[in-house]
Amino acid sequence: MDTSSPAALVNAQMLNMFVGRRVRTVVQVQHNEGGVLVGQSTDGHQLCVKSAMDVPVSHFMEVYGIAENSQTIRAEVCTDFGPNFDPKVFDELCKLASGRFKHLFL
Amino acid sequence: MYGGGGGGGHYDGGSGGAGNANALFGGGGFMPSQSTVVPENSGLSKGRSAQTLLPLTVKQTMDAAQTSGDRSNFAINGVEVSTIRLVGRMLGKVERVTDVVFTLDDGTGKIDVNRWENEASDAKEMADANNENYVIVIGGLKGFQGKRHVVAYAVRRVTNFNEITCHFLHCIQVHMELTGLKIYSSAATYGGVAHAPSQPNPVDGNYISNLVLSVFHDPSVMDQEHGLHIKDVIDRLKLPDDVVSAAIQGHVDVGNIYNTIDDFHYKSVRNG
Repeated sequence: MDTSSPAALVNAQMLNMFVGRRVRTVVQVQHNEGGVLVGQSTDGHQLCVKSAMDVPVSHFMEVYGIAENSQTIRAEVCTDFGPNFDPKVFDELCKLASGRFKHLFL
Repeated sequence: MYGGGGGGGHYDGGSGGAGNANALFGGGGFMPSQSTVVPENSGLSKGRSAQTLLPLTVKQTMDAAQTSGDRSNFAINGVEVSTIRLVGRMLGKVERVTDVVFTLDDGTGKIDVNRWENEASDAKEMADANNENYVIVIGGLKGFQGKRHVVAYAVRRVTNFNEITCHFLHCIQVHMELTGLKIYSSAATYGGVAHAPSQPNPVDGNYISNLVLSVFHDPSVMDQEHGLHIKDVIDRLKLPDDVVSAAIQGHVDVGNIYNTIDDFHYKSVRNG
């Protein structure tokens, strides 16, 4: 049992509150060039993911990693969530999990 | 050995639990409608309600209070916890002769999980899930030498990743249900201070109704034989007499509380 390094559920808007810390989010892959993946966040912004794994374009990808700045995440673990994922619901979850119900997650 | 769950745990080994878990699997959990409030300094009733399936985050299982007396019992928000549902990534899976152990990481924390393989179907289910896979674990929360771990009754690989989102939302919903919270306003309160409840609307009938009921569910009140005088409720809440009376009448009508020794004393039906 270990809760020492939790990852905050974030969308692009919340990323700047967690710079330098572990975060997790989901992006829809747009393109992947030279090891930097660009994807659309669940709240409609563009995010860069460094050292991401190869996930097909238009698939949703979950990223665990460190927030380098308000637009970039250095990936530790990526998971292909496939093409069928509901970004809207996930976005709402992020708001709850980093806001009013933070104590259940962090 | 913790298969037996300590002195008279709720589950006698894997087989009884496995059947139970399978029954719960299809719908992915349910709301604990009749929660068991843990009374202070009394033996917990080990009825069926204690086996309610609770969706939780690993963080919540770590924060669960160990109820005094019986060391294998936990309580979250005053509700006894035994069977839980966790969703996270499987890490460090080790297959042994009679069981499989792995660590579950759901992003809020990590917890060790142990799955006994009593039957061929158990082994088949465990073979389907591997390291880095997302899995849904249904099992019993156990404490052993100060460490918490889960004895799994069922482990299923996640194939629809919306289930992860859904699980966490379910955790929030059940938490709200058990703490009597309500969503008063939406976007305006997000992203702000940690978990300070947003400003409730003072004329919201539902809010007052829950507030009144929470007074009756206070463990010190539950212990009182004759319940609480309506004046005590008014004193506690500092709300107008007619508002409190109306809320109490509402609870009497739906059967949440009942009259005791006279027309002014009421008591919760819980643990009655």
